Amino acid sequence: MNVLTSRLPEKMTQSDLIIGADDPILITGSNGFIGSRVVNTLLRSGFTNLRCFVRPSSNLADLDAILKTANGARVEVVPGNLLSRDDCQKAAKDVAVIFHLAAAGDKSFPGSFMNCVVTTRNLLDAAVQVACLRRFVNVGSFAVYSNWNISRGGLLDESCELEHHLVERGEAYAFAKLKQDELVVEYARKHGIPYAIVRPGAVYGPGTRQVTGRVGIDTFGIFLHLGGSNQIPFTYVDNCARAIVLAGIKPGVEGEVFNIVDDDLPRSRQFLRSYKSHGKRFRSIYVPYPLFYGFCWAWEKYSKWSQGQLAPVFNRRRCATYWKGNRYSNQKLKDRLGWKPEVSYSEGLRRYLEFVRKKG
Amino acid sequence: MLRIAIVGCGKIADQHAEQIAYIPDCQIVAVCDHEELMARQLQERLNVPAGYTEVQDLLDQARPDVVHITTPPQAHYSIGKICLEAGCHLYIEKPFTVSHGEAEELIQLAERRNLKLTVGHDAQFTHAANQMRKLVSEGYLGGPPAHMESYYGYSLGDGVYAKALLGDGHHWVRKLPGGLLQNTISHGISKIAEFLTDDGLEVVATGFRSELLKSIGETEIVDELRVIIHDGRATAYFTFSSQMRPSLQMLRLYGPKNGLIVDQDLQTVIKLPGKHYKSYLAQFLPPWGYAKQYIGNALGNMRKFAKADFHMEYGKRFLIGAFYRSIIENRPAPIPYHEILRTSRIMDEIFSGLRLTPKTPHPESACASH
Repeated sequence: MNVLTSRLPEKMTQSDLIIGADDPILITGSNGFIGSRVVNTLLRSGFTNLRCFVRPSSNLADLDAILKTANGARVEVVPGNLLSRDDCQKAAKDVAVIFHLAAAGDKSFPGSFMNCVVTTRNLLDAAVQVACLRRFVNVGSFAVYSNWNISRGGLLDESCELEHHLVERGEAYAFAKLKQDELVVEYARKHGIPYAIVRPGAVYGPGTRQVTGRVGIDTFGIFLHLGGSNQIPFTYVDNCARAIVLAGIKPGVEGEVFNIVDDDLPRSRQFLRSYKSHGKRFRSIYVPYPLFYGFCWAWEKYSKWSQGQLAPVFNRRRCATYWKGNRYSNQKLKDRLGWKPEVSYSEGLRRYLEFVRKKG
Repeated sequence: MLRIAIVGCGKIADQHAEQIAYIPDCQIVAVCDHEELMARQLQERLNVPAGYTEVQDLLDQARPDVVHITTPPQAHYSIGKICLEAGCHLYIEKPFTVSHGEAEELIQLAERRNLKLTVGHDAQFTHAANQMRKLVSEGYLGGPPAHMESYYGYSLGDGVYAKALLGDGHHWVRKLPGGLLQNTISHGISKIAEFLTDDGLEVVATGFRSELLKSIGETEIVDELRVIIHDGRATAYFTFSSQMRPSLQMLRLYGPKNGLIVDQDLQTVIKLPGKHYKSYLAQFLPPWGYAKQYIGNALGNMRKFAKADFHMEYGKRFLIGAFYRSIIENRPAPIPYHEILRTSRIMDEIFSGLRLTPKTPHPESACASH
């Protein structure tokens, strides 16, 4: 435990944590962009008994690189499919904490649902059998919130309304993530599974080159900058991983939801300028929110009139969610988990853009 | 008002439901999936009154007139049989069944019970395919086709489905007797089956694994197929390829007088006049004529789009609508049964020619999502 406490940035005593350093921890999606950083954070924090669940066909290069630094820790890489109940049983056997990050995006509602909800149900069924389980950390999505009734620039935090029109918004992944959250809450109620839900904002860092859709989209062959002067709810991947880990090991947060966003959130315009100057150059056109909202309204109407000749992928609710512009808070994360972003926005951006530059 | 049920709540079910929503005088009254959560999600999204995990419960309680079977193909026969026995008309996703024998049994049962069925060969009912059929029936070819070429391109390089299939050694498609081919080629085969006869049907097939699949260590999936079919009167070539670019979805028909090219991707129908021009005119006039035809096709497509009559899933909507009308008006189903049987027979012969042996169905596949 000394190792553990000395490696975690905060001053913690054994009573600060719900598990010991040697207790087994399961991480699903452990070779993903965030999952591999969660593994890294756990190892750096002194946890010595990790079970990394991966898809059999996964590229394990990132995870392997991290595991090479796992001096003395027992790290078991378990290939499997969460759609298999047997694989879930094996993965969850005797674990103290489950970090559930695995999720595969799919454009279709059934595909996303199968990959997020059915898999989570299988894992939860396995978790129910684990007597020593102390926490199930469900990694959700920021997109499940609705800002429909929040004014432009209004605060969006954990207390805000969840979106009940995700089908209308046409967002299969967000729909599945919302149902996944609901399932976790249902299992907690029925079976007493101790859980916490974390909802990361726009995660950035080395490992992804994508510009978050909250800044803009390139659907029409040229990048439409839609974010304007909106604050972007960024979280640097390592900061995000640390928040997820803390949600799994800190006591007293059962049943809580945490949004993960960093400090000093940039404006969309500011981020885009940096990206183009220091990362990758491309052409973009700024489209003001009211104009794009009008476009979405017209698209929605046309879609209905034409009986789906164009799918309603652009619609007012989606437009509001991503481009209306809100303020975000990480106060709960700081107050309840003692989290603070270790990597500042300027440093995170520097590392991210260096990666973007290298990858071209 | 037709009462519709969907069995199998995966991706294809969504496509069916989307089109059914635009067809008048019908209502989805129930959905069913072996996986309760999948049934629940479709029920909730479509606001359907009832969801089930057992087909028999659906039939007993929801009492649908028509059942759409959108499960993996291994379950089509068994589910189809109990639905027919319960007095339901059937729309079965492609491939119709996993064998010709199963197809025959279902069709015989439907005929005995005076019920209708069809298969999801919706590519036969796109604007281009309908126009081609009209030209053929008007005698443009100068008689029945003497030769046909059907191309079915399939990209493994992208797409969630291909990734899921390649990454999952237990994927249900791998358990089909014909593997990936069985799940995909019926669209291309049915287009030529429409113009073949059953007399002395000969099928010669060769299949192999592409270099791409070999390079990633794939040892089961066959993703390249070439077939020659001869019915004693006409011949046909069928090409299935994951590597050929452009990735064509095309049918070429050659009659005694003229030919036709039907491009499903471009939604064009190009007439190939058999007329021979003298000297250099053969190099000047036909290209000009083809250019005019392509421009005409482009303008026609734009006109249809402007009239909101150019939906991505037009063929599916057309086929479902035509099938429902055939039930209401007690007319023949839109796809003749002998075509369904011919398609399944050709597919059986292809797979036996390739020595792709039937595999034990996955126990969890019954009634699962497609």
